[in-house]
Amino acid sequence: MSWFVVNRLWQGAIVVVSVVIVVFVLTRLIGDPVRVMLPLEATPEQRAVFEQQLGLDRPILEQFVTYVRDVAVLDFGESLWQRRPVLEIIVERAPATILLTFSAIALAVALAIPLGVVAALRPEGLVDRVVVIVSLLGLSIPQFWLGLLLIVLFSLTLGWLPTSGSGGVEHLVLPALTLALPAMTRLVMVVRSTMIDELNAQYVKVLRAKGLRPWRVVGVHALRNSAVPILTIAGWELIRTLSGYTVVVETVFAWPGLGLTAIQAIERQDLILLQAIVFVTALSVVVLNLLLDVLFKAIDPRIEMSAK
Amino acid sequence: MRTQFIRWCLGALLAFTPLTALADEITIVIGSEPTTLDPHAADDGGEKAVNDNIFDTLMVRDNEGNLDLGIASEFPTQVDPTTWEFKIQPGITFTNGEPLNAEAVAFSIERMIDPELNSEQLSYFSTFAGAEAIDELTVHVKTSGPDPILPARMYYFMIVPPEASQSDDFAAAPIGSGPFKFVSWDRGNQIVLEANPEYRGEAPDVTQVTYRFIEEPGTRLSTLVAGEVDLVTNLLPEFMGQVPQAASMRSLEHPMVLLNADGGITADARVRQALNLAVDKEALASALFEGQAQVEQGQLLGPTYFGYNEGVTAYPYDPERAMELLEEAGAAGGDITLVSTSGRWLKDRELTEVIGGFWSAVGLNVDVQIYEFDEYLQRLFRSEDGQRSDAIFVVSGNELLDADRSFSAYLAPSGFGASNSVEELEELITTARTEIDLDARQALYEQVVEYAHEEALLTFLLNINNIWGMSERLSWEPRVDGKMFVSTMTVE
Repeated sequence: MSWFVVNRLWQGAIVVVSVVIVVFVLTRLIGDPVRVMLPLEATPEQRAVFEQQLGLDRPILEQFVTYVRDVAVLDFGESLWQRRPVLEIIVERAPATILLTFSAIALAVALAIPLGVVAALRPEGLVDRVVVIVSLLGLSIPQFWLGLLLIVLFSLTLGWLPTSGSGGVEHLVLPALTLALPAMTRLVMVVRSTMIDELNAQYVKVLRAKGLRPWRVVGVHALRNSAVPILTIAGWELIRTLSGYTVVVETVFAWPGLGLTAIQAIERQDLILLQAIVFVTALSVVVLNLLLDVLFKAIDPRIEMSAK
Repeated sequence: MRTQFIRWCLGALLAFTPLTALADEITIVIGSEPTTLDPHAADDGGEKAVNDNIFDTLMVRDNEGNLDLGIASEFPTQVDPTTWEFKIQPGITFTNGEPLNAEAVAFSIERMIDPELNSEQLSYFSTFAGAEAIDELTVHVKTSGPDPILPARMYYFMIVPPEASQSDDFAAAPIGSGPFKFVSWDRGNQIVLEANPEYRGEAPDVTQVTYRFIEEPGTRLSTLVAGEVDLVTNLLPEFMGQVPQAASMRSLEHPMVLLNADGGITADARVRQALNLAVDKEALASALFEGQAQVEQGQLLGPTYFGYNEGVTAYPYDPERAMELLEEAGAAGGDITLVSTSGRWLKDRELTEVIGGFWSAVGLNVDVQIYEFDEYLQRLFRSEDGQRSDAIFVVSGNELLDADRSFSAYLAPSGFGASNSVEELEELITTARTEIDLDARQALYEQVVEYAHEEALLTFLLNINNIWGMSERLSWEPRVDGKMFVSTMTVE
């Protein structure tokens, strides 16, 4: 187990270091931040002062060393747009994204399990067909459009939920639902297929022959054995959502999380904030991956010890 | 059992229904969250929208754009060519109790030009040299040279409390002397202000205002249609029919095309005139902006700007004449490059493409190049060898309502966006900048306007409108300067 963790840690470290290098190189390649940041009328003197403040007048290697050293202690510098420490902005905005992502995936799992199980009970039956078709539809709808549709239905037509912003639980419902639906449709397919496999397994037949109530066979025994693949996919969905899907949804619902902040940083050409958000997102993906791997290993020791 | 369940469901739904705002509280949606609420630091729309209600200025403008008294008790006078004297109304205090006197005004001016602050607004106040409190209510403002626009600049300049503004908190929790005072800022979500009970003027009808920040135009529209908010800025023209009330007003934004008078086929004035005659401005206004734009009267200024020339009007749409002129200049079928960017200004890409279409229609071979903003800027700023593209689309904004800023930037050869080397223009614009006699100044600008129009240094296009969406219960008249003073709003 400990070798497994060490190996995973090592791989994660390589990813994080690569991200640091790629982010640094990209932000130096995509243009002159000084020209983009300053107002059109800025004088050459103002440009020089600004360049010096950003450290862009120093040799590139020195800039890289400084950058790596600062990132190592989570010092991302000061946002050009908000003129305050980037870390402060990230700490302020991250909880909203975490809340949204976890709610969405919890919702997706909660909806996907009963739907997938019901579909698996009679493969090719009417319910199964409906679930499969709806899942395919759910996968094909662009998220921003889905968000706008939900706003039209629940906010404008029915008037039940607020259109945007954050505050109470009511503000969370629509963005979480928008994020949850695509994840749920993928999960339903996984639940359905693993349950079909389980229900055809020998032990299920034995249990049924012993006269166990059908709901116990399905709901307890078969479902428990399907737990690992379902949780694995749920974990992937969580990472997938966290690593970028929130951007669109946060923009549509004006949800004040990191995704919306990243869009704002791009619009305001705040490269310092943007590169920090990219780095933090990459780091959280690596850490989550590691945690999930360890968790699954703990649940099911049959998982290979070697790091694939 | 079933009835109870239904009752429970209804109860849960009701709990989710947004509370209707109280009669005297309103919510305004602005497109972007303020960068900071320090009124001297940033130069962004969100910050201005909020701070205009918290801080006072020496001068204000009336609804038509004429300069009027803010906290100044009389119009400023000139003591000498580089000193202006302002008298301040007595008895004004900031909400923390600090007096708003000559000291506070002088402090504010010195603060603006302090290099430590590194203000983004400095280009509006570059002529400030310093300030001195003469007595409790008299202040002398020093300028680096004669500055006839100084009173207009003071309409843009907010007065801050000397002590409170030195605290680290000031940018996050500002203290002013205006009709509203800061309550809270929930980052990313909203800013709340409430009426200042000690405000010297008439108490506003609105007691509390909440600003929300929504960038996505569709979401902005839905918040208004859902009845969650009362006022939405920057409504898209195509959404006007869908909101309870819409109001529009000429904005300070002037889209236009800079033409290179120094090289390429545009070096010939006849070609530049042809490019102006080839564009149907009326069609652009009605088709692209649903009528929410005015044809620019050939001068990069709206009628409310100082320097506007009544005698100059737009080039008519005359593609026949345009083709004749191109023929005369030997440029028929010639190549022309039109550079632009996308997503920076309202419908920038669409405008550029349509203009390219009009130019193609008179027989030119138009190469429309749309770049990402940084690439675009590389072409907009004069490159080292001085070469510029034939035509560059740009939107000129000018909050000071005075010709100087627009002309210095886009017509004077030293301006960052100028595409000509007519020394005479440089002289006229520089002289006007320091000319104290208003009639003489106006005459100088009229000459500049006539020259630029006759020589077609730009393709003059439109003056687009600002559009606001309003709830049924809100009454408010938009202003020519686009400012949203909550004290002028009333609710039913």
